[in-house]
Amino acid sequence: MTHAVKFHPGLMLLEQYVEGSLSADVALAVSAHIDLCPHCQHLSKDITNDQAAELTEQQVSSRDAEQEWQSMLDFITSQPALSPSRAGLASTSPQVSSVTVNGRTFEIPRALARLAEKQNKWLQLGGIATAKLPTADKQHVSLLYIDKGTEVPNHTHLGLEMTLVLAGKIVDENGEYGVGDLLINSPDDTHTPRTLADEDCLCLSVLSAPLKFNKGLTRLLNPLQQFFY
Amino acid sequence: MLETTVLSGHHDALSKQKRNSQLMTISTDNELRTGQWEDALTLVAINQDKAAYAELFKYFAPRLRAFGIKMFGNEQQAMEMVQDAMLNVWRKARLFDASRGCASTWIFTIARNVRFDMLRKKQSRKDDISADDLWFDGDYPEQESNSSDNWDTMLMSEKLAPHFDALPPAQRMVMQKVYLEEKSHQEVSDELAIPLGTVKSRIRLALDRLRGALDDTRS
Repeated sequence: MTHAVKFHPGLMLLEQYVEGSLSADVALAVSAHIDLCPHCQHLSKDITNDQAAELTEQQVSSRDAEQEWQSMLDFITSQPALSPSRAGLASTSPQVSSVTVNGRTFEIPRALARLAEKQNKWLQLGGIATAKLPTADKQHVSLLYIDKGTEVPNHTHLGLEMTLVLAGKIVDENGEYGVGDLLINSPDDTHTPRTLADEDCLCLSVLSAPLKFNKGLTRLLNPLQQFFY
Repeated sequence: MLETTVLSGHHDALSKQKRNSQLMTISTDNELRTGQWEDALTLVAINQDKAAYAELFKYFAPRLRAFGIKMFGNEQQAMEMVQDAMLNVWRKARLFDASRGCASTWIFTIARNVRFDMLRKKQSRKDDISADDLWFDGDYPEQESNSSDNWDTMLMSEKLAPHFDALPPAQRMVMQKVYLEEKSHQEVSDELAIPLGTVKSRIRLALDRLRGALDDTRS
């Protein structure tokens, strides 16, 4: 991965991610970003160490609920340990998996591997295709494929939109985004993302509310906003 | 749910050491130095040592309970989390790898993951995002450089002084000892009775905060 990631989640978002207090789909976008971003891999490891140290620094009274602790301890140590064969099955390196759309195959980050196996089928509209990932949240998580030389009509976000570039490149009024870049748009942000003429793009999209299309005939898309959501 | 780790081999440990000797200008402390909890986990891993486990349990269970009460807001779920997490510590001790972090970090992430999956399960969801999706339990490939290592030279510049004061107290304490009192990471670790890895983490987090503060003043 030679591309240098430029757009990162903020420190507070990373802290909440490590703590486990983000909503699952936002955490998924952060996690997939970390898979692609060495800088945030270091940061989240450091934050984890720091939070773990806070755990040990907590004041506790040692003579609290002693009987309950003893029976829990007895129960646990009566359980068998994990067998070495089961422990040996997993791998410490991130697993590579891929998705295929428009005749193209893309590698996707570890965080998305299991969910992508269960993705819904691709829905296509012009140069754009989406496939929902089965997550049971209020937010909507999907893979978004944009063919080369395609513009997503200018839209406003009715809620929070997180877009993580998984492959290729995308451009909007504010800049250019490559693999690993995480764009976070709040409600009222308006933009017109597009791909370049020679490169298509695969993204992870997390939306907390439907998009609203603003201009001319594309307003006709608004009844179709379920497509993007 | 938490079974995505195996002990990483000597190769990993060696490459990590090599990287450190090349890049860590701040310190060359040995990352593999272990403490009592790391040793206790190893005893549990090797021969299911109940005495060693009881020591771990006595220390960590009440702390996890306090953590759980803070997160769940009630005693019952907190205790459920403690039992699940500490059971995982017992059963999966051989998955612990001291070269990748200290025991308290390993136990913290187990509890965090147990808690996350408890919350998801309570809402009875199938096919859902799980802790295993969100938190990778393994090593990412080594990278060429870690830019925060270059920041120690910048640190003393006057520009940084006001931001230095704004650091969280725990980070400021470590930074002060390392950069103003010129103590080694190990000395700071001993003095504050916190793991060496935590000293390093706090330094890197503080450096990152300071860099962020500088970026803000520039733009």
